[in-house]
Parts: sequence; C-alpha cells; structure tokens
Amino acid sequence: MKNPQRSPTNPGSLRSRFTQVFLQSLLRIRKHNPTSSSSSSHGEFLKRCRRVKVAAYVSMARAVGTRRAWSRATLWRARNGERQRNLLYGRCSKSNSRERSLGKRKRKKKKKKKRDNEEHSFGHAKKLQKLVPGGEAMDFCCLLDETAHYIKCLITQVKVMRSIADFYSL
Amino acid sequence: MEPSSLTLAGSTDAALESVLTEEIRSLMAPPPESTSSFTALLELPRTRAIELLHSPEAPNSPGVAVPGGPAGTPLRRLGGDGGGGFALAVGSDLAARYPALFGEKNDSVETSSQKVKSEPLTESDSNPNSSPQPLVSDPTVENKGQRPTKRKDREKKAKASAKKSKNESSEDAEELPYVHVRARRGQATDSHSLAERVSREKINARMKLLQELVPGCSKISGTASVLDEIINHVQSLQRQVELLSMRLAAANPRVDFNMDNNFAENMSLVDSNFPSMVMPFMWPEVQVNESRQPYHQQWQFNSLPQPVWGREQDNHNFITPENSLLSYDSPANSVSLHSRATENGAMKVD
Repeated sequence: MKNPQRSPTNPGSLRSRFTQVFLQSLLRIRKHNPTSSSSSSHGEFLKRCRRVKVAAYVSMARAVGTRRAWSRATLWRARNGERQRNLLYGRCSKSNSRERSLGKRKRKKKKKKKRDNEEHSFGHAKKLQKLVPGGEAMDFCCLLDETAHYIKCLITQVKVMRSIADFYSL
Repeated sequence: MEPSSLTLAGSTDAALESVLTEEIRSLMAPPPESTSSFTALLELPRTRAIELLHSPEAPNSPGVAVPGGPAGTPLRRLGGDGGGGFALAVGSDLAARYPALFGEKNDSVETSSQKVKSEPLTESDSNPNSSPQPLVSDPTVENKGQRPTKRKDREKKAKASAKKSKNESSEDAEELPYVHVRARRGQATDSHSLAERVSREKINARMKLLQELVPGCSKISGTASVLDEIINHVQSLQRQVELLSMRLAAANPRVDFNMDNNFAENMSLVDSNFPSMVMPFMWPEVQVNESRQPYHQQWQFNSLPQPVWGREQDNHNFITPENSLLSYDSPANSVSLHSRATENGAMKVD
C-alpha cells in the first residue's frame, strides 16, 4: 500500500507547473463565465469547452516555456486567435491571413530545399506536421524531436486533467 | 600484489600494453550492458555527466573534434530543461547510440575492438610524442579509480590513433566545420554523403526514441508504419484532451480552483494513490485555502445551484470548522487529521 503522505517528487517539475497554471486558468474561466450547468445553453457549453481546451494547451505551453518550437507556436497561435476575436473579424483576419500566408510561403521554400534529403519519409511527415503545432516550419529531424517532447507533455497533460476531472466529478 | 607492481615498475612495452588492454577490456565489459543510458554508463549524477561531456571541449587539442554547434547546444538545452529526466535521456541516448554525433567513439561495443587494435598501433607507430604520454598517464589515472577521466584519456588515445590509422580514408571528415564525423572503412567520403549519413543517423536515433515513447511501437519495423503509429497516438491524445476538457467544463466546480503549491503537490499523490483514499485528505486543503478568500466569494459559491450530489450538505458543514483552523502553515498531515475527524463528524450528522 502506498504511503499517502509521500513528499512530492519534484515541486518544479513539468507536471506541477502545468497543474498550477491550468488550475489558475480554470479559475479564471469560472470567474468570467459564472453560469451554472442548469442554465447554460448548448452553444455556451461548447464555447466553455473550447475555452477549457485552449486553456489546457496554453497552460501546458506556458509550463514548458519558449524553449520548444511547438510551445512557442501554441502561444503565438493563442495570442493571434485572441486578437482575431477582439478586433473586427474582417479587418483583422485579412491582415493575419496575409501574414500567415507570407510566413507559410517562406517556410515552403525552406522545405523544398531540404526535401531532397528526406523524400522517403517526408510524405508521412506532412500529417505529423499538421498535428504538432508549429510543425510546418521544421525539417524532418527537428519535427521528430518536437514530436517526442510534445507526446511526453501531452501524456502529462492528460494525466493531470484526468485526475482533476475525477476529483471534481466524484 | 607484488608481481603486478613489478610488472608495472619494470614494464616493457608489451607487458604494459597487455596490462592496459586487460584493464580496458574489463572496463569495457560492464558498459555495453547498460547502453540504454549514458548516465548509467558513467555512473554519475546527471549534472556531472553534462559537465564532463562538455569539459573535454576545452582541454582537448584543437585538432580533436569538439561537439559544439548544433550537437552541443541541444544537449545543453536539454540538460537545462525543467522536466530533466526525459530530456537527458534523449541526449544521453543519442550520445550512447550515435557517437558520431558527439564526436566520441567510446560508447558502442563495436569500437571497443577498434580501440584494442589501435593500441598496438600506437605502440608500433612512429609517433612517440602523443602515444607514450596517454599510455603513461593511464595507469596513474586508473589507480585513482576515476572512470570519467579514464574515458577522457581513452577518448584522446582512440581519437589520436584512429585519426592516424584512418587518415587515408577520411581526409574530408576533418574539414567539416562543426560535426566531426569519422568515415569508417569502405564508406564514401565526400562531404555530401557524410552529411547525409549524419542526418540519417540523427533521424534514426530520434525514431528509436519515439518508438520507445509510443507504446506498442517497438515491435513495428519500418519508418512508415512507425510514423503512422505515432500519428495515431498523437491524435488519440488530443482527442482525450478534448474529452477531458468537456468533462471539466461540465463538472461545475464546487470549490475554488485557487490552489497553491500544496494542491500541486497533492496532485502527484492523486495520480499514484486511490482517489477515494486521497479525497478526505485533499478536501481540507481546499477548504483551508478557500477560507483565505474574501468572505463574499464564499457566499457566491454557496449560492450557486449545485448539481444533485450528496456532498451538498457536507460543504456547509465543512466550512465553519475549517475556518477556525488557524494553522495554515501546518504541514498537510496535521490538517488532514483534523479534517478527517471533522469530516467523520459531519458525515455522522448527515
């Protein structure tokens, strides 16, 4: 039987950092949307779900820091998404989409040069690039590296979220 | 004892060489068993391992490879990561399996035979300057029993000897600016293929790591299916995050989320223990923290229409006894004892 009063393994670990940030963001969401389950409509519930999901990814990215390309990409995406929602949709989205398409064009040029080397596995990597945030601007080698770290962080995230959900639904 | 000292003292070259090869073979035997972790090889704590990996860069002669640039900085970056274990394992596995990346030749079993061969080469080589020095320093180093310095010396020796023995085949290798790759015998030596080989090795190393990370992937052979498995795994994890976020959004929180480090610590306990056991332990933490909030928030919270769960009444009973608890700073143990008593009392009241 495990000792329930065991000291924590590492107070500065990824898991504890993520837990702190995620709980703070959940609190913020609850404060901003003080609707109870009985009165919320389906649409509002979906919005809240999306907010919780984004908060989960963003808090994981914050816990990781800017050391990793995928965490930088998630934070950048979240920040730009906010900008889109805050300002007028038409005006802002055009500029954003222009910026993004320019960026993508530049990235595609980079990709073409390196494609000769990794042709055989690059086809499969496209799917992976779409899955991993910020994966489109990377060569295959860095993509694998980022994927490994991303998977590890996702596993931690799922564990923590599951334990929080279990705790609050019991 | 005495015969060995005699052989060391009045050593001919052959005797010294045999003693050294024996010692080195005996030292070689344990490392291949644990090629999974570089730090296990070194039998050192992580930070010391990183230090040692980087310290040879300074004292080594400029002709010897320095794993700086892209190879060195990722390792440093990985070592500095807060989630340290995996990152170091990544770097250390890379170092252990693909020595070409880091300019070392000592971590794989195959090079051990090269080293053993290279020692007689150094003996017979007409290069007296460098060879006797490391050989002489070796016994003294070995007598100290410090493995890392032995490895450094062995690296220097192997590099020196390997360079000379393979000079004719690997002239281009030393002209690469930051990655020191030694072209093995019978392999192409132009810079393109060398670079390709390095990148291929990097990719293979990372694929192996991913295979270990993703469950059920180690049995699959072939890059394509492994990639498919990885993609499926990432997709399933993202779907799980979505489901859990739905659960969290749906589960109306009945207590404040304003936790501090205590809760974060307890989260690790939740993962490892049965939730039912930890529940009475965690509730008081939550309540204690809640009482720190301004009082009107508690009213707000209490007035929220709560889902029909049996705990509704318990909350009200919890708050008043916990508010009287002044010992916020007390360790979790005593708080849990208090709360367990009060909780039992509350349950009985219900």
